[in-house]
Amino acid sequence: MKKIPLIVAAIALVALTATSVATARPAAGKPVDITIWHAQTDAAQKAIHTLVTQFNKTHPGIVVNDQLGSNGDEMVQKLQAVIGSGNYPDIAYVYGSDVPNVSQSSKVVDISKDIKATGFDWNSLYEAGRKTATVGTKVVGFPAVIDNLAVVYNKKLLKAAGVAPPKASWTWSDFRAMAKKLTNASKDIYGTGFPISGSEDTTWRLWPMIWQQGGEILDPTNKQALFGGAQGVKALQLLSDMTLKDKSLYADQTPDSQKMYGLFDSGKMAMVVTGPWQLEDIQGHHISYGVQVLPSFGGSHETISGPDVYMVFNHSDARRKAAVTFLAWLHQPAQDLQWDLATSNLPLSAKTAALPGMSQFDAKFAGIGLFVKNLANAHHIRPPVTGYTQLSVAVGKAIATSLLGRGSPKDTLAQAAKAADKALS
Amino acid sequence: MASIARRQPRPPAWRRALPENLTAWSFVLPASLLVLGLGFFPVIWSFLLSTKSSNGFGPEHGVGLANYRALAHDPEWLAAVSRSLKFTALYVPVTVLLGLGLALLLNQKIRFIGFYRTCFFVPFVASAAATGVIFLYVLDPQYGIVDNVIAWMGLSRQQFLDDPDQALFLLAPIYTWTAVGFDILIYLAALQDVPQDQHEAARIDGAGRLAVFWHVILPAVRPITVLAVVWETINALQFFDIAWATKRGGPIDATTVIIVYGYKLGFVDGEQGLGAAVACVLFLAIVALVLMQVGYARWRKLDVV
Repeated sequence: MKKIPLIVAAIALVALTATSVATARPAAGKPVDITIWHAQTDAAQKAIHTLVTQFNKTHPGIVVNDQLGSNGDEMVQKLQAVIGSGNYPDIAYVYGSDVPNVSQSSKVVDISKDIKATGFDWNSLYEAGRKTATVGTKVVGFPAVIDNLAVVYNKKLLKAAGVAPPKASWTWSDFRAMAKKLTNASKDIYGTGFPISGSEDTTWRLWPMIWQQGGEILDPTNKQALFGGAQGVKALQLLSDMTLKDKSLYADQTPDSQKMYGLFDSGKMAMVVTGPWQLEDIQGHHISYGVQVLPSFGGSHETISGPDVYMVFNHSDARRKAAVTFLAWLHQPAQDLQWDLATSNLPLSAKTAALPGMSQFDAKFAGIGLFVKNLANAHHIRPPVTGYTQLSVAVGKAIATSLLGRGSPKDTLAQAAKAADKALS
Repeated sequence: MASIARRQPRPPAWRRALPENLTAWSFVLPASLLVLGLGFFPVIWSFLLSTKSSNGFGPEHGVGLANYRALAHDPEWLAAVSRSLKFTALYVPVTVLLGLGLALLLNQKIRFIGFYRTCFFVPFVASAAATGVIFLYVLDPQYGIVDNVIAWMGLSRQQFLDDPDQALFLLAPIYTWTAVGFDILIYLAALQDVPQDQHEAARIDGAGRLAVFWHVILPAVRPITVLAVVWETINALQFFDIAWATKRGGPIDATTVIIVYGYKLGFVDGEQGLGAAVACVLFLAIVALVLMQVGYARWRKLDVV
């Protein structure tokens, strides 16, 4: 029995050390250290690093550490793992579709007062971005990017195959016929591609195809899935026919769709549905490209805009204020323009869009103007419900199963709708 | 001199009050705390988590054993278990037999034997993520060297890891490639312990190579074989890293084995309680397996545990 006090003492010692570390506060006069997980790679990673370095030079009271954290597709998993342990970042890049779910954490608090304190003009940001960064009445972060989907095509490949560039009035049947014509198995060239890793990047591409036909993802009460209806089946049937019958669509299983974009960048894919963020990369590979709005069902060219968010996580008042100060600085028109020019992302505010420097933007990234205009084709938003994460997984699996020829679009979507109903109930 | 040889002085009272094995405890305590902290607490923690409904972000509430009941009626869980069993059946016999075979080959006095042994051991210390990426490249359906060789030979190209029917069958040999170094190592150690006089006695009695292997070597390495089989079965049931690094449990769910399923439940679907329940069920299965090994070893009087 005499051993016990010794063990207790040891545990107490460990516990004491742990608490003393946890309660350590920066001494007065020491700069506040904060960390951002930006999820950006390649040129975007360099761009954010440059911005962070500039901020640190001009703001002696704050030191921002920029880290990758995780790729965008797996940020939620990473956050779940670290929030429990206390080693979570002050700012993290979170997909708009995951924001309601992550906002349930007690570490996510309303930062609207902190924003006001910095004097930042919150309402200057575009509404889509502000809406995604707001859950209920809580402002949980700043919009990180605003994007939308359009079709980027390789001019050289179209010319070589004798295919005219798509017109603004094109349809999904035109898209299918073109992809078939552009496919050249002997040269390993695909007409187009589609990510089937099953992440949100798989799922969100189906939504505009449903909305264009007048369909909806969920019923008005957000309790019942409607995506398995006739519109969803028609959309998925088209993709599955292109993959399995025409063999004109490359179904990419890699996370973050690296392979699909890699094929396009190396001139092995003629058309790709993507957002403005990809233009910088495509230019880097010296591909001569054009951009066109999404093909239509029944005349509607509706697209999807999925703003992503730099969410703020609360450690202490000082750190949260420092994080908001950094984000407010990052969203000033001058910094926003610098980021857009380096990464081909769209401006986050009308103030940025009005800067004279924006003319450089259009000149630097051919076709970026179409993405800016295409924002007007975004009418719906993804359902802002916590069950969306599970819904997205179920639909991603349905799409992958169909494109791999392991189930009919009707059956796989019906199964996904069942899973979604369960998650929403 | 005589005074020095007198009996030892009595230790002071405070020393007498302490247990005799205090010194022993002070030696094992740091390691014990480490084992407790890194092994035991997470198990308890997982069990507690498995009795809750939690998505990792929102508030959590106790649900008793509901997560376990939900698992029992979950067809995807049963599918994951059956994949794990299939994987174990594909992986364990091949790995253990290959380990023994290669150890026999490497247990010879030839030039550069150290180099050869190192070659077989290197994959064991390589990181799973690196191994996964290497095999993704090698087996890539467009650019991979294997598919190009197959096409060059005039055979039809294969989808390999992109094909739901092939992926799990390919992961087993990939995992064997990374893990067999360990089996070689323990078999080599065992082979070098086989008494030389038994060898010679068998030879004098006219035993051929096969007979020596069958009647001398195999019985001598039996304890190691039991260890290797149990060890590799545990590894196979806990298989995760390469499955995740290569295909994230896909294509569709083809490589979603038990731990991948638990991970997806916990971190992708946000059902942390269910994910923890998966971990606990697997933990109990492995404890049962180890107890069976101990029982078998005691029954056969094998000197292994």
